[in-house]
Amino acid sequence: MRRIFFLLLFLQTITAAAQSIVDTPHNLSANGPGSIHAGSETEICIFCHTPHNSSPCAPLWNRNNPGQNYILYQSSTIEAAPGQPDGASILCLSCHDGTIALGAVVSRDHLIEFSGGITVLPTGHANLGSDLSDDHPVSFIYNTSLAAADGELTDPATLNGPVQLDGQKVQCTACHNPHNNIYGNFLVASTHYSDLCMFCHQKNGWNGSLHRVSSASWNGSGNDPWPKSTYQTVAENGCENCHQPHGAGGAERIMRHLPEENNCLDCHAGNVAAKNIQSDLNKSYRHDVFAYTHIHDPEENAVSDIRHVECTDCHNPHVANGTDASAPVASGAIEGVKGVNSQGSAISAIQYEFEICYRCHADSPEKPGGHTSRQFYQTNVRLEFNAGNPSFHPVEASGKNGDVPSLISPLNEASIIYCTDCHASNNSSANGPHGSVYSPILKFRYETADYTSESYQAYELCYQCHDRNTIVNNQSTNFANVVHRKHIVDLQTPCNVCHDPHGVQGSSTNQSHLINFDTSVVSKSTGRQGKLEFIDSGSFTGQCYLYCHGRNHNPKRYI
Amino acid sequence: MIKFQFTFAVCLLALGTSVALGQNIQGSAHDFSNDNWNTTGQICIVCHTPHNADATVTNAPLWNHATTTATFTTYNSATMQATTGQPDASAKLCLSCHDGTIAVDNYGSQSGGSHFISGGPRIGTDLGNDHPISFTYNSSLASQDGGLHDPSTTNSGLGGTIAEDMLIGGKMQCASCHDVHNGSGFAYLLRKSNAGSALCLTCHDK
Repeated sequence: MRRIFFLLLFLQTITAAAQSIVDTPHNLSANGPGSIHAGSETEICIFCHTPHNSSPCAPLWNRNNPGQNYILYQSSTIEAAPGQPDGASILCLSCHDGTIALGAVVSRDHLIEFSGGITVLPTGHANLGSDLSDDHPVSFIYNTSLAAADGELTDPATLNGPVQLDGQKVQCTACHNPHNNIYGNFLVASTHYSDLCMFCHQKNGWNGSLHRVSSASWNGSGNDPWPKSTYQTVAENGCENCHQPHGAGGAERIMRHLPEENNCLDCHAGNVAAKNIQSDLNKSYRHDVFAYTHIHDPEENAVSDIRHVECTDCHNPHVANGTDASAPVASGAIEGVKGVNSQGSAISAIQYEFEICYRCHADSPEKPGGHTSRQFYQTNVRLEFNAGNPSFHPVEASGKNGDVPSLISPLNEASIIYCTDCHASNNSSANGPHGSVYSPILKFRYETADYTSESYQAYELCYQCHDRNTIVNNQSTNFANVVHRKHIVDLQTPCNVCHDPHGVQGSSTNQSHLINFDTSVVSKSTGRQGKLEFIDSGSFTGQCYLYCHGRNHNPKRYI
Repeated sequence: MIKFQFTFAVCLLALGTSVALGQNIQGSAHDFSNDNWNTTGQICIVCHTPHNADATVTNAPLWNHATTTATFTTYNSATMQATTGQPDASAKLCLSCHDGTIAVDNYGSQSGGSHFISGGPRIGTDLGNDHPISFTYNSSLASQDGGLHDPSTTNSGLGGTIAEDMLIGGKMQCASCHDVHNGSGFAYLLRKSNAGSALCLTCHDK
């Protein structure tokens, strides 16, 4: 019985491997199985081949060169140099550019008539037209030096599978076998898990990527992410989740869609991926990926010089994975993207999360402005978080203040936090700063308007780490009981008026404890020594020169 | 009555077979008996003689026509596994008219003929745009190529295997596809009908 089974299996294998052109849509004879076929001509080979007087000679070609000037594929990241289609590709295009009648063969002095009045290949996915800019490039030399220059291509010297070069060049026939359609679309190998693509493309990090292994499938809501695919999961669709080898909407890098974010949101909209990024991006305060198209480029400088934001500024879809990390180390979700380090130097792959943020929010000439008018105004967040500053929230390094009683365990004075501990989507399962109802993309509410009535909700962001009771009720220190309570609760002054949450440059006497006044609320003290100044006098003691809420501190001492 | 029907059926069958196989050179493209350059009025003489034949070409069949001495450009393709050489054996005889270098009326003792083949049948000396010939086609070529049937086991549709019916000395030649004597009556003197590309697909496993 087992023997019979193996015999059957063997026979089935033979059958699959031996499919004849006769049974494919390339059988254009009157008996062909496809929708496009001749009216009465029964010969099959004749539409492409002739035994005598062929042109070009090999492979005994029976059709004329279309003589078109094709628009070629272009990309900022391509190392290859595609030329006008030649070799096998120009043969394919003698039908597939849609310029020459299917029945126009050299060996016949008349047009072979097609049924339904068809002459040239009808418009559709098989008709590439003469604009090849949205198709995978062909007719380029693929050699060892190209593989080395690209860095993410197989050395063609080791190509020993179904993908074969035409001479040294990639032609249509690298992926397609016009005589055999067992994999569909006349492909030479299966696209299941993008097996075909992987013969040449070896993307860095892909083997560890979630996109390679995810078994997520369409849950039936929203858009079907794979309208043309029979595969059911992200892993099975592989490259074609985002890329489309022909007729790609995004053309460059054969992305499915021109608006970059749409390639991601096909799945990250609550329909496939566990995290609904689309809903975060629809919130009022967001990294507005919808506002820019075709500005982001993978080759752009690490320090962003043209203002924009796209998903791929922060994520590398070939590398992204589920690896957890602790601040400041970047998690798997943002692994493999470029950044700017704490010294302001460009780096090709980030180690720390803040290094992404520094691309646009540090030394970029187009960085956004601040949200509060400050005594010491600084919008370069790299300078604000510098570990040499007298005070800063501990993003790059542990904070300067060794005594912070309000910290909620497990946080302590040595802790380091992420930018995304404060700046993140509110009420979201995703960790990143995609979009929030709280400006500026804050994870929780953070009131900055003067005369805000104190509540847990009003300063929910601060109270995530700083215990509210310790801040405004603690009887053990005069500071909490008098200074904080009086200002925040009694006088309804937001935290943000005295504290600059990122960090302050300057001296340990005047700029400790993140003190950097909001000048829309606080101004210089009046009188002989009129000035705006905080002076640190040691543990929980200090004095202020300022004028605020109708009160003049000239100075006011806190002991 | 039954006997009559049987006989009638056999006759019909025989008639049908004779329609397919009973064609011959008379009246075919190779019947030059009425051409004005052929003063003999004979058919066979343009190629054959019963005596004193030219045996320069190996296995030449009582050859009576001047033989080409041209050097041919052969077919070349990156995807071809076969090894082609200069046309040999019967192919060389075919090309003695069809390469256009020898006059068709250079036969027997005649030389200095002036009628040269023209148009489609004139293959010329550049065979680069013609199906390759004069190469050994055997099981090992078939397995190496992957797109060819094994000639030693595949039925030719002509009664035996490809090797038996269509190869000459184990080689693919002009006569693999063409029957110079028009035995079958198909266009272009083909050995078998090419409807549905049946002739091509006899060897090509596409």
